[in-house]
Amino acid sequence: MKYVFFQGCTTPQKENAYELSMRKVAAKLGIELVTLEEQNCCGFFVEPVDHLSATIMAARDLALFDASGLNAVTPCPACYGQLTRVRNELLADKKLFDEVNSALKTVDRKFVGTSEIKHFMTVLIDEVGMEKIKASVVKPLSNLKVAPFYGCHILKPSYEVNTDNPEDPQLLDSLIALTGAKLVDYGEKKLCCGQSVGGVDEELSLNLSKTKLKSIKKAGADVMVTVCPACHMQFDLVAGAKLRDLAIPVLHYTQLLGLAQGLSPSELGLGENRVSTDAILEMIGMV
Amino acid sequence: MIENPRIGVYICHCGLNISATVDVKAVATFAQTLPDVVVSRDYKYTCSDPGQEMIKKDVKEHKLNRIIVAACSPRMHEPTYRKLMEEAGLNPYLFEMVNIREQDSWVHMQEPAKATQKAKELVSMAVARSRLLEPLEVKEVPALKSVLVIGGGIAGIQAALDLAEQDYKVCLVEKQPTIGGHMAQLDKTFPTMDCSICIFAPKMVDVSKNPNVTLLTNSEVQEVSGVAGNFHVKILKKPRFVNEKKCVGCGVCASKCPVKAPNEFDMNLGMRKAVYIPFPQGVPAVYTIDKEHCLYFTKGVCKICEKFCEAKAIDFTQKEQIVDLDVGAVVVATGFEPFDPSSLKEFQYGKFKNVVTSLDFERLISAFGPKEGKLVRPSDGKEPHRIAFIQCVGSRDERTGNIYCSNICCMSAIKQAVLIKEKHPDYEVYIFYNDIRAFGKGFEEFYQRARDLWVNFVKGIPAELVEDPDTKNLTIRAVDLVLGKMVEVDLDMVILSIGMIPPKGIQDLTRILRIPRGADGFLLEAHPKLRPVDTPTLGIFLAGACQGPKDIPASVAQAKAAASGVASLLSRGKIRTESSIAVVNEDFCSGCKVCISLCKYDAIKMNEKKGKQVATVSEVTCMGCGVCASACPTKSISLRHFTDQQILAQIRALSPELCQSSVTTEQVNIKEKT
Amino acid sequence: MQAIEKTIKLDPKFKYEVSEKPGGESVRHCFQCGKCEATCPIARFKEQYRPAQVIRAIMLGCREFALGSPTIWLCATCYSCSERCPQGVRFTDIMRVIRNMAVAEGKVNPFYKKTAEAIIQFGRTFDSPDFINEMRCDLGLPPVTSLDRQEIAKIIGELKVNRSKESLNK
Repeated sequence: MKYVFFQGCTTPQKENAYELSMRKVAAKLGIELVTLEEQNCCGFFVEPVDHLSATIMAARDLALFDASGLNAVTPCPACYGQLTRVRNELLADKKLFDEVNSALKTVDRKFVGTSEIKHFMTVLIDEVGMEKIKASVVKPLSNLKVAPFYGCHILKPSYEVNTDNPEDPQLLDSLIALTGAKLVDYGEKKLCCGQSVGGVDEELSLNLSKTKLKSIKKAGADVMVTVCPACHMQFDLVAGAKLRDLAIPVLHYTQLLGLAQGLSPSELGLGENRVSTDAILEMIGMV
Repeated sequence: MIENPRIGVYICHCGLNISATVDVKAVATFAQTLPDVVVSRDYKYTCSDPGQEMIKKDVKEHKLNRIIVAACSPRMHEPTYRKLMEEAGLNPYLFEMVNIREQDSWVHMQEPAKATQKAKELVSMAVARSRLLEPLEVKEVPALKSVLVIGGGIAGIQAALDLAEQDYKVCLVEKQPTIGGHMAQLDKTFPTMDCSICIFAPKMVDVSKNPNVTLLTNSEVQEVSGVAGNFHVKILKKPRFVNEKKCVGCGVCASKCPVKAPNEFDMNLGMRKAVYIPFPQGVPAVYTIDKEHCLYFTKGVCKICEKFCEAKAIDFTQKEQIVDLDVGAVVVATGFEPFDPSSLKEFQYGKFKNVVTSLDFERLISAFGPKEGKLVRPSDGKEPHRIAFIQCVGSRDERTGNIYCSNICCMSAIKQAVLIKEKHPDYEVYIFYNDIRAFGKGFEEFYQRARDLWVNFVKGIPAELVEDPDTKNLTIRAVDLVLGKMVEVDLDMVILSIGMIPPKGIQDLTRILRIPRGADGFLLEAHPKLRPVDTPTLGIFLAGACQGPKDIPASVAQAKAAASGVASLLSRGKIRTESSIAVVNEDFCSGCKVCISLCKYDAIKMNEKKGKQVATVSEVTCMGCGVCASACPTKSISLRHFTDQQILAQIRALSPELCQSSVTTEQVNIKEKT
Repeated sequence: MQAIEKTIKLDPKFKYEVSEKPGGESVRHCFQCGKCEATCPIARFKEQYRPAQVIRAIMLGCREFALGSPTIWLCATCYSCSERCPQGVRFTDIMRVIRNMAVAEGKVNPFYKKTAEAIIQFGRTFDSPDFINEMRCDLGLPPVTSLDRQEIAKIIGELKVNRSKESLNK
């Protein structure tokens, strides 16, 4: 299992622990992550301003994947959604395909569409498989009560990213269950974290996070687990600073799995988490 | 070729349908130049009375013996013109129809010059064929005055009653142990608020008592072959392990039976015994043993019902039976199935106890339902003071694939809401809707009545339901589009107004009867406006929800229409057969049986003739599809009215180059079987 | 003199403009059930944000409202509406079309403007990776990958030039 690693922008800028823990977990499960030089932003935050620019930015990345001869994996669901969507659009629309390729030609790049883009969670489920992941768990985290949070872009729109049923998602739940942790269901499981409106209306974004955190608190979870660096940022960095009395520890899924695989907290970058993870580390005897 | 062909050609304008694109006058002028064409005219509406009179007059004056009309599709008016031929004293098979509308003017609207050229070519092909047409005998065969009605719901029962009244012998087949269908499950009917079973049970009893009706319940149709007037049917009578002739319906067996099973009639909201009658007013009033739950069948013990049955009606050894039947026509009235909203996870049907479907609700408030008519909610049996309906669940929805409107849900919700408010004026009732479709007689008045009773109508469909884990109360968040605000309502119970879907097993039925389904999955009528109860197959009719979602009055009307259709077909006791059928030249037939292997109507059999085995085509069963004629390796079979000569003449008229080479034409001179 | 009547003059051409742009085609399927707005997490917390109203504004032709309203920048692109719509109206994509059209008329939320400009200029959301690489080095991660930002500018420019050539040729 060899993939080019598409970083995205949020992870290196704000959530390096996600990349760190992802690399460690990948190594344990036999997934090889190949460095992809020259990667650019997927264009997600350019779309609202200019769809065409965003499309060609994404197309350039897709061309890089094709040139590598490998499929690509990313930790960020927004990149995953954006690149998947652009790839589908280019393969369906011959005119656009030609237009984009003629522009890419001027810099010696070519989009073919042979490489697929995957999110790390889908690689775990589809390529590694539940059995193998379960086998890698040496320290079941049975004392932890975990509230899973999928975020929006890994599940929707289901007509582009067909990973799981957005109305009743189960895959992350299953992945968490493999670590031995207890799953906590909460009323606002499907509610968006609000990160992407933070720049426009901070209060609005905090209201969404607040509602989610209240629901998680009511359900009695010790820790939240995310698969998206933006969601993590929202609950760790933003809520950690602005909603202190509601914020609870937030782990990237790869951090949770890593702990269950016997990796140390520092190996998994837990020191980078702004909301202190000391309490939960104590619960699993890993202080 | 008989005598000198004297052909009359009529190019129809069809108003502007044809003449707006095709230069009809030019085509008529062109046709006049063709050999053997005596008269060539263009006319505005050839199928009209004056148009037909004109043709008749021409036949007489000009001694025409062939007629060609270039107009719409033969599927529209070929029968009309064939009748005209008879009135004019000519054999109907000397008529040829050219389609210059559906196949020309309507599809080439942007290219009038080419369309006109195409019309000329089509007409010259028709003239070439017309010269070679031969008169065919119009025959009639005896038709049985008996009918198979499939489905014992309101539509099937009504059709059976109407036909039995006219002295047709009816066999009514129902797959459940009793007739009744979904109407029997309803509490009240809109807009009159009649008690459903009260108005229905007399019909159920009537149909069971009528001497012209044979009721086969717990049975399914397995095979149907043959043709209108003479269908051969095989029905599988599944064993109910109770002798129908002996059982008096006393119910002692059920009272003693130790096994409980979910009662399907009550939407699994209540229980029944393993030996049961689906509902108290069931017809026939005979019990049935459910093999899946009965202790004798599952574990080989018990048999307590047999012990207590005074009529000695229990029979564990009962086997399935095949009933063979010959009928003249079939009425399909297999109804619908309710949509199961479990797949729409946002409503959590099945998980949230107080979310029920509209059909569940009918059983809950029914006097003979699991709660004996007391309105209580499933989670804790408490009275639900705040109730909401969510409309269009599963219907009008690209996500479920049922993009049609299910017709009855608006009125059904209003009916249920009115029922609740009349009994409990203090309850708050909400209907969250997309549209309110109150189209029928008395419906708009009924909608008014609902508003009079303070039913809250909210224009805005809720996105999802939220449950309070302690109280099991539900919260709806929806937008009221008129208010322009998102509103939140706490409720004790939510009712999902589900739609209708085609029943399971409909694909088997379409295969057995060889009738088509529409894009929505329901059975397809022959013409949506003019032939709503016919199927494309002569002798098979549709009635009720199997043709598409509809309410009781519409189902009854269709049932009566289907019965009338059957009577129109069979009342003379004979049916006209198709004259354009296949015929075998026994001298050439080599007995290879390729034709038999291909004939899907089972119309060809081997017979000993002149000392060898030759194929013989049944005049009654042959549908004139032509597959045998095209496959026959020795060219022994020809299709009357579509002989090789006639078809090749058409092709040659279009393109002489195509007919240069190998295909033998002139030498094949089939002598017809007399 | 300012109009005393508060009625909106409809512009029936607006809906065709929206539907002709990639992503806007499905707007015509809306049958006003309100499910999108009922689902929307932003609408739940912000009264003024009304997806169903935006679609209505497009279909009826309330151009100024649709393009000038500040609330169109509140969409979180969570796709919940597109997921739930029973008629396949891809609201999130339509919202993107509206936003692009507003930008073309010079109406754009400053945060979005700043972010997009930075991304196009740097090729990603950050300029110099030095500070980031320091952090990464501490964690034992390799530095962020290289990037020739001129390439980005070039291909965007190429595409736009070809597009405008094509529309001139038409």
